[in-house]
Amino acid sequence: MNYPQLSVAAIRDGLLARQFSAQELAKVALDTVKSIDPAIHAYLELCPELAHLAAEKLDAALVAGTELPGLAGVPIAYKDNMNLQGTHTTCASKMLENYQSPYTATCVAKTLEAGALPLGKLNMDEFAFGSSSETSYFGPTLNPWDLKRVPGGSSSGSAAAVAAGLATVTLGSDTGGSIRQPAAFCGVVGFKPSYGVVSRYGVVAFGSSLDQVGALGRSVNDVAATIDAISGLDPLDGTSQALKAVYSQTTQLGVKGMRIGVVTAFMEAVDVEADISTAFTGALAHLEALGAEIVEITLPNAKAALSAYYVIGPSEAFSNMSRFDGIRYGYQNEGASCLDELYEQGRANGFGKETRRRIMLGSYLLSSGAYDTYYYPAQQVRTLITQDYHKAFEKVDALLTPTTARTAFEFGEVADPVSMYLSDIFTIPSNIAGNGGMHVPVGLGKESGLPVGVQITGPQLKDENIFRAAAALESCYPSIARLAPVGSTEGSAL
Amino acid sequence: MKNLLAVLQDWEAVIGLEVHTELTSLNTKMFCSCPVAFGEEPNTLVCPVCLGLPGTLPMPNKAAIESILLAGMATNCSIEQRTMFYRKNYFYPDISSNYQITQGPVAFCMRGWLDLHVTGKAALEREDRLGTSELPKACASEGYATRINITRIHMEEDAGKLIHVGGADGRITGASHSLVDYNRCGTPLIELVTEPDLRTPEEARLFLQSLRQIWLTLGISDCSMEEGSLRCDGNVSLRRRGEVEFGTKTELKNMNSFKNLHDGLAYEICRQADVLESGGCVLQETRHWEPASKHTTSMRVKETADDYRYVPDPNLAPFDLSDDFVASVRTQLPELPDEKRARYVDSFALPYADAVSLAGDVELAAFFDEGVKRPVPLSPPLSPSLAPQALKLANLLLNDVLAYLNASGLTLSKTKLTPQGLMELAQLIAEGTLSSKQGKEVFALMLESGEAPQKIVEQEGMQQVSDAQSLEAIALGILEQFPDKVSEYQAGKTGLLGLFVGQAMKATQGQGNPKLINETFVRLLEGG
Repeated sequence: MNYPQLSVAAIRDGLLARQFSAQELAKVALDTVKSIDPAIHAYLELCPELAHLAAEKLDAALVAGTELPGLAGVPIAYKDNMNLQGTHTTCASKMLENYQSPYTATCVAKTLEAGALPLGKLNMDEFAFGSSSETSYFGPTLNPWDLKRVPGGSSSGSAAAVAAGLATVTLGSDTGGSIRQPAAFCGVVGFKPSYGVVSRYGVVAFGSSLDQVGALGRSVNDVAATIDAISGLDPLDGTSQALKAVYSQTTQLGVKGMRIGVVTAFMEAVDVEADISTAFTGALAHLEALGAEIVEITLPNAKAALSAYYVIGPSEAFSNMSRFDGIRYGYQNEGASCLDELYEQGRANGFGKETRRRIMLGSYLLSSGAYDTYYYPAQQVRTLITQDYHKAFEKVDALLTPTTARTAFEFGEVADPVSMYLSDIFTIPSNIAGNGGMHVPVGLGKESGLPVGVQITGPQLKDENIFRAAAALESCYPSIARLAPVGSTEGSAL
Repeated sequence: MKNLLAVLQDWEAVIGLEVHTELTSLNTKMFCSCPVAFGEEPNTLVCPVCLGLPGTLPMPNKAAIESILLAGMATNCSIEQRTMFYRKNYFYPDISSNYQITQGPVAFCMRGWLDLHVTGKAALEREDRLGTSELPKACASEGYATRINITRIHMEEDAGKLIHVGGADGRITGASHSLVDYNRCGTPLIELVTEPDLRTPEEARLFLQSLRQIWLTLGISDCSMEEGSLRCDGNVSLRRRGEVEFGTKTELKNMNSFKNLHDGLAYEICRQADVLESGGCVLQETRHWEPASKHTTSMRVKETADDYRYVPDPNLAPFDLSDDFVASVRTQLPELPDEKRARYVDSFALPYADAVSLAGDVELAAFFDEGVKRPVPLSPPLSPSLAPQALKLANLLLNDVLAYLNASGLTLSKTKLTPQGLMELAQLIAEGTLSSKQGKEVFALMLESGEAPQKIVEQEGMQQVSDAQSLEAIALGILEQFPDKVSEYQAGKTGLLGLFVGQAMKATQGQGNPKLINETFVRLLEGG
């Protein structure tokens, strides 16, 4: 049995059938990371003690015969903006290179309660500012399908680790596409729930009204099981929602009778690569064949989403990033002669270029005068886009769009920040409106040989629609490669 | 420099106050569950949330929202049901996230007012206003009434405290380094801002005193100016009398007592007048009141308005308080000092000044209300009206009790006095069973033993001789002893009454009712 190929359900079955113990699984999972990760650099830190501790507990539960929790024995890893007591939370920044959190994020704690085995922390764009992992202070993560290419970002390690078999599922965060875009580039399932489904407590904030924690995995069912474990109302997050969906029970319902919307006008406005549009039309045909009704809809204001996003995101980020001043924790420049110098030097040297760019942008956008010109209209645009979605979802149950306009690009290929920002055009609208969205891989592109797929978006807080459609679509591609051919899998046998 | 009264002849002072109150009665901080307390070891009342650690989120304290609504209702504000929290962004080590969570254009409480009754000496700073507006009828002394409008009361979190080491007086100037204590960080704070409606330092003092009394009555804070749970900054400018335009204002800080508030503003008014009269310009700046040397020093000059980059806090959903919630808070509103004062005047005929003093002290007022509520049945029975007893009780509280509390440093609840006991004493004095002198002795013994006054009177045999028949017998005996003096008295030397009374007091070993003895002699001598 080869560990990287095991699903959440298979791990559970294997444990129950005593085919392997949780301890054995933890060891193999960690060994796999050790042997393969040097090739792609998805991990920033491993936490073997925590993994073995969790495995020990699980084995004891198996012996005692108690019922196994939802993610029993599932090797999991976390984007490094999520606090896990006993590990660093670096946000891939020099600023937090040595920072260890004294508490654990709610979403992380919930995976541990659900019996998952924590392997470690994953690389990302610095403070989640980026779409390629190139802004990580610790160096980029490489795309397991083609090491010359970026894995996407900012949840770069989260996507690459799953694609390379270095974790069964991972957690990521998505502010403008940071789960779905790397999932697309690495050919894995990546899901951003509706805003409020998963607690943000303990996840270092980027844009608090846009941020949402989600999961990545090699199948819709694995992701559903993970979201089932981490979702729900959190008394520590006032924006978390009380609905407790059981997504893993919706994946078998099928797509028959569902109304799937397509937004032709929006797609035509963007220069979509041939591999991507082929994937899109193929997926659409499959859904129709399965009994879905295809409905043409419009999102007239969606084209303004990017502009609103690049006002609201940096504005919130500017304020969220203020706490990193080197006074209580984090990077502090030696030899500052006064307080202002301490702030200036520490933040100039502790933050990377893209982080500084976003902070400066936000600082400008919120300054008196600019606030009324940019921030306020951006909020109005946000309301319009949200209304567009509400109207659209009166007619349809889910939307089908591309996730990205193109497949993974090469390192250094996109040097202009604005072009980089444009890579999120299909994902940003749902962050603006607070809807859930999922990338579903449909194989490798004919021309590029790189992973391609589609995005399914659902009505706000009705993410079960997404899981229904995604699981049905996934069943149409039974033989696509789910693991990237990277490194040797010798150490991965159970 | 001219003195304040002289300056105010030519100039009108325009004063607005910003009053910060920590909601010290709450169990927990504004956005986390750390306790609210003063004087603990530095950085022991902290958690990831109030330390602003990465990833933390604020959760609003419902009890704090109730407190600010009460504050607004008690100061005649309109309650804004749809409001939200903003972030005020600025860098300083005492604020752990480098932004303060506060409110934006719409605060929980908007557009309120308080009426001030400025009387006695306090009114002299505004002689021109004497008699310009009507004071309550009961208020006998001269003065004026004035309405102070309240712009808003908003909710925010307090910052931590910097401790500067190595400089003089703990100030930053000359310090070698600074330490930060985050215990106070995140303490719920309400900030009240007045319109520039105050005209004299006395009005400012009176406003703050009234506000403190209201807050204490609401029970939302301990309002300790010493410990900083009640803090007040003043904005002050001058304009020539009759002028409409405002002058340039300065902001005055560090006025941590009522006296400092008055004296700081008074000094600043005189300083500004001095600058203006010598042809200078007042700089828009923040100034620091130095109580020791009695002057203000410049902290920083404000050339441009600070840009705090206010932005709605995305972690805190906008409020939409339900009518039911607001109504339920309104039912918690206790009787306020002004209402209390009116009741004391109306129901017990207390003198206006006594009613003001009593109503303004939460503890004394509660004690008084408890005392008059359940008078202990005594023999002889209560007079039909409670007024004489109540008046005596008020006197005891405002004189004897207050003097004792001031001398001992105790609070009323820490003494052995009970409302019933003190009321009993008031009754014994009011109905003449005890003389005032005896009353004081019994009071002293009550403080010591906590015994009921009736019992003390019996134990000490202090009962006043009030029996008219036995007093008449004693009086007749004395008159028989001094036939010459009786003749002299009847010839017009009425001053001799004192001699007769003195003799009678001697005969009753000081326990005769002096009033009754007096009356008896007058009746006997003048042939009534």
